[in-house]
Amino acid sequence: MASPVAAPLAALRATALGSRLPPLVVAAERVAATVMQGVHGRRRAGQGDAFWQFRPYASGDALARIDWRQSAKSDRLYVRETEWEAAQSVALWRDAGPGMSWRGGADRPEKRERADLLLLALASLLLRGGERVRLLGERRAWAGRGALASLAEALPRHTPPPADDAIPRHARAVLLGDFLAPLEETRAQVAALAARGVRGHVLQVLDPAEETLPYAGRVRFEGVGAVAEPALLLPRVEGIRALYAERLAAHRAGLAAIAGAAGWSFATHRTDTPPEAALLALWQALAPAG
Amino acid sequence: MMSLGPIGFVVPWLLLALPALPLIWWLLRVTPPAPRRQAFPALRLLRDLPAAEETPARTPWWLLLLRLAAAALIILGLARPVWAPGGGGAQGEGPLLLVVDDGWASGADWAARMAAAQAALDGAARDGRRVALLATAPAQADGTPPTPTALMPAEALRARLTALRPKPWAPDRAAALSGLALWRQANPGGFTSLYIADGVEHQAEGPASSASGFSALARTLAEAGPLTLAEAPAHAARVLLPPRAEPERLHLALRQTPAPLAGEVAVLARTGDGRALARATIPVAAGASAGEATLDLPLEIRNQITRLEIEGEDSAAAAVLLDERFRRRPVGMIGPAEQGGNTPLLGPLYYLERALALSAELRQGSVAQLLARQLSVLVLADRPVAEGQERAALTRWVEQGGTLLRFAGPRLAENPDPLLPVRLRAGERQLGGALSWEKPQGLAPFAESSPFAGLAVPAEVAVSTQVLAEPGPQLSDRTWARLADGTPLVTAVTRGAGRIVLFHVTANADWSDLPLSGLFIGMLQRVVALSSGVAGAEGEAPLAPLETMDGFGRLGPAPGGAGAILASRFAATAPGPRHPPGWYGLPGEGGERRALNLSASLPAPRPLAAPPPGTVRQAIGGVPAERDLGPWLLAAALVLLAVDLLLSLAQRGLLGRGARLAALLPLLWLATPAQAQEAGLPLATRIGYVTTGDTAVDEVVRQGLTGLSDYVNRRTAAALAEPLAVRPGQDDLSFLPLLYWAVTGESPDPDAGALAALNEFMRNGGIILFDTRDEGSGEGFSPGAREALRRITRGLAIPPLTPVAPEHVLTRSFYLLPPDLPGRFAGGQVWVSRQEDRANDSVTPVIIGGHDWAGAWAVDARGQNPYAVIPGGARQRTLAYRFGVNLVMYALTGNYKGDQVHVPAILERLGN
Repeated sequence: MASPVAAPLAALRATALGSRLPPLVVAAERVAATVMQGVHGRRRAGQGDAFWQFRPYASGDALARIDWRQSAKSDRLYVRETEWEAAQSVALWRDAGPGMSWRGGADRPEKRERADLLLLALASLLLRGGERVRLLGERRAWAGRGALASLAEALPRHTPPPADDAIPRHARAVLLGDFLAPLEETRAQVAALAARGVRGHVLQVLDPAEETLPYAGRVRFEGVGAVAEPALLLPRVEGIRALYAERLAAHRAGLAAIAGAAGWSFATHRTDTPPEAALLALWQALAPAG
Repeated sequence: MMSLGPIGFVVPWLLLALPALPLIWWLLRVTPPAPRRQAFPALRLLRDLPAAEETPARTPWWLLLLRLAAAALIILGLARPVWAPGGGGAQGEGPLLLVVDDGWASGADWAARMAAAQAALDGAARDGRRVALLATAPAQADGTPPTPTALMPAEALRARLTALRPKPWAPDRAAALSGLALWRQANPGGFTSLYIADGVEHQAEGPASSASGFSALARTLAEAGPLTLAEAPAHAARVLLPPRAEPERLHLALRQTPAPLAGEVAVLARTGDGRALARATIPVAAGASAGEATLDLPLEIRNQITRLEIEGEDSAAAAVLLDERFRRRPVGMIGPAEQGGNTPLLGPLYYLERALALSAELRQGSVAQLLARQLSVLVLADRPVAEGQERAALTRWVEQGGTLLRFAGPRLAENPDPLLPVRLRAGERQLGGALSWEKPQGLAPFAESSPFAGLAVPAEVAVSTQVLAEPGPQLSDRTWARLADGTPLVTAVTRGAGRIVLFHVTANADWSDLPLSGLFIGMLQRVVALSSGVAGAEGEAPLAPLETMDGFGRLGPAPGGAGAILASRFAATAPGPRHPPGWYGLPGEGGERRALNLSASLPAPRPLAAPPPGTVRQAIGGVPAERDLGPWLLAAALVLLAVDLLLSLAQRGLLGRGARLAALLPLLWLATPAQAQEAGLPLATRIGYVTTGDTAVDEVVRQGLTGLSDYVNRRTAAALAEPLAVRPGQDDLSFLPLLYWAVTGESPDPDAGALAALNEFMRNGGIILFDTRDEGSGEGFSPGAREALRRITRGLAIPPLTPVAPEHVLTRSFYLLPPDLPGRFAGGQVWVSRQEDRANDSVTPVIIGGHDWAGAWAVDARGQNPYAVIPGGARQRTLAYRFGVNLVMYALTGNYKGDQVHVPAILERLGN
């Protein structure tokens, strides 16, 4: 999976560095733009560039902060206040395991492709909002709108497990993946992050075929990836479809319980549904409650 | 062989394998189909699921049935089933002699006869008997009698039997009998024989017939062994006699062997290209041997008929060819000039051809060429007859009975000659026009004494210009048609046995609407009908076979043995191997053709005498042929197995979507493939250029013409599309007004097809610009181009050339230009055809120069001119473009701007 994205990126970068955004980022921007409208900023005076309000001068304010033009309109002195624009660190992670590089039909993207798209779109939104974005497990943090291209460049190489010693306390985290591994593994990962005071969101990205098991007849199921699990021969797949759905539901309930125990939120996303809905849900989960 | 109803099995023991089918059933049931393979990430969730039902995987019942059917078909097919064995007759032991009547009477049901012979051959092949074949009609032109072939295995004889064709003449049973006697000396001993007879006694009636005809042959065969006689009793042998011609109708006569039931025989009249024009039915009473009917046909239609045939009867005696005696009158036509007479819508011969093509045989050529052959009417359209040999020859021909039909025109008005019915005033009379009060005149109704009496005069015919006759005492008698004001329009005079007729207007629509009206056709047909007919050329000249009939009555090239017939003995010649029926005549284009018909020399057909006692009789046709079913069953089994393969693949999921589509492809064959058409080509005007084979030059020309097209589109109302590369002879040139031909030293010579296409292009008003790209300041740029130009144009109809004059239309069709017409180079000479050539409205068909105009017009992808003009300057480039615009305008509008050339002179005259 790394090569199909990295190769066009590298080629683009070599030819016209900075002139155009890579296509994946463009797609992410497009998705992000549809979400931006519903979400707003801090609504408090503080450090920032945007004008927030005038307030009467109080002793202790620096003389340089007096807005002389406003003050000249009356007898009082006014201070110009700007809107508070505090940057929050958000750590993003998506599963890069072999199971993600799979799709159940030609009419939909691979799970990893969709996860990449969601991650970049979210990063685009965050960067535009002035937040700092990290990839879980990477030392470096990105900020500013131009950072999106660089982030997209770094993304294909990013394949560590979801753990980070350097993550700031009270940062936010977003984990994307299929989370089909045993529940204990996921529990350990989420608990490790929650122990550092990190709050976050878990999004399970699944292919529709993994939910519905649309196969029938005599099928030999094989694992995905280099470390092959032993194949499984099922004589009549349609007979166990209900059982499988039951088991998947139980797995999901387990994941939700893990997230709930850590104070995190949990959601699912199918690759045959549009990414905008999932992105909006992510954004709202991250936006401050007030 | 084992028989089961109508089916016999050659290898019946293989049927024992049929009980093994249940075994296959069982084997297929216990073997499950291979599983499909599926990658799945959520494998962990699937693991250890309790299997809800452990039913064994099964082959679906329909697949099982398919495979069983395939296996059964293979077993049955290998057992070699045969449909209807033993239908061929002539069962017995010992060698078999096949006697086949292959004369004219066998052609009608030849396929059934061959089927009967093949059936007998199949039977003999199965029983391992040896066979000989005797065809009773003489095949060799040298008179060798028909002889049986040597005895050979049936398979070896099959090729000979397949090659046997009916002959377009009668069988010679007496000769066959003598041939058989010779054969029996070489092959003593008894034999079985099968006689496939045509049911007609071909000998003329008389005492000798029983000794040498069918009876004698049948007797000899019956003496040698069992004889089977295969006949088609229901089928009467029919002979269509040559018709008797009367005005407006043909008398048809038919002879046939008596049939037990009354019936009707349909006769079709066909043209030379095979179209059926008329159909007549001849009623034949029960037991009658003759029938008659008439075929009513107008003369024009009858003139086109070259063949009468009995419908559905493919036999040489059922077809009659009609030669000149039944055909139309030959009419010669000569236009005003050697070139341009045929120009569509402009040339006089164009109208004459359309008016006369239905009712007369048209010829063109010079006076000497036309008069060298039989001719009933000669049309001279606005062509004065020069004094001397030509006038003398014409006068002699008219006095001997020819009809000379002349049309007036500007040339005749200038110099009238004595070969006219009346004396003409010099010059022509204008009726109507911008400077005249008179109106164009209509036609007066025809007088009762006129040959045109009875023809309706349409009101819309108007004559605007005509030549006038000098008044004289005989003028009134000689006038056949008048205008409404009484002036003669058609005059005629008798000279010797012949006649001279003059239409006082042109044969095209320049002077009158007459050639556009239906009246014109009627008048010309009356004139041609008045002319004397033509007599066949009799003499000692040998008439060679041109096309001859085969036994089915179809025309084809003459066989090698066919010989010529002396013209004087033609009528007495009876068709035979040496002279097959068909067309005979002098070789060469357009020579007289005589028809040699088989039916003219045949005696009336009589039924056969009774065969000797003990003969087995068998009917031809209706007996189903023996048929080997094995290959069909095996093929069906293969198809089933292929279907099975596809189904199994689909079940295992190995069949992609593409493969499924491919499996459906054969169904698409049922749909008629749509013809891909070159749409859009005629919808836009574009300049063409001839590809030179040199890619670089072609690219320059393409760029040049693209640049010119853009320039023209910007500056003028003309809208030109992208230029088009053409290969003359392969591409259609008719939509192009202008062809640019860059000549290089390596340009290949155009082949015959290309030359014909280019000549046709120029004749119909197209313009070719030849550019040698080496003139003036470009001297030496394209070595060898001038020689190449000479080479290329050798086969083209290039008119006499002249340098472009200052007042030539080309220099003022859009811009006013100096006559040197520079391109990329300047200073050379540009040549066009002489103004005096009035063909094509004086528009030159060729422009020849060497200024490399395309180089000057060329525009590259960035919109710049890649080639510098020499000697140089923006003015030269502008002039080159302007010449291009003028050229395009000239090609699109012709000499339209030519009138404007005279404007200063006209203004000056008006001012005075």
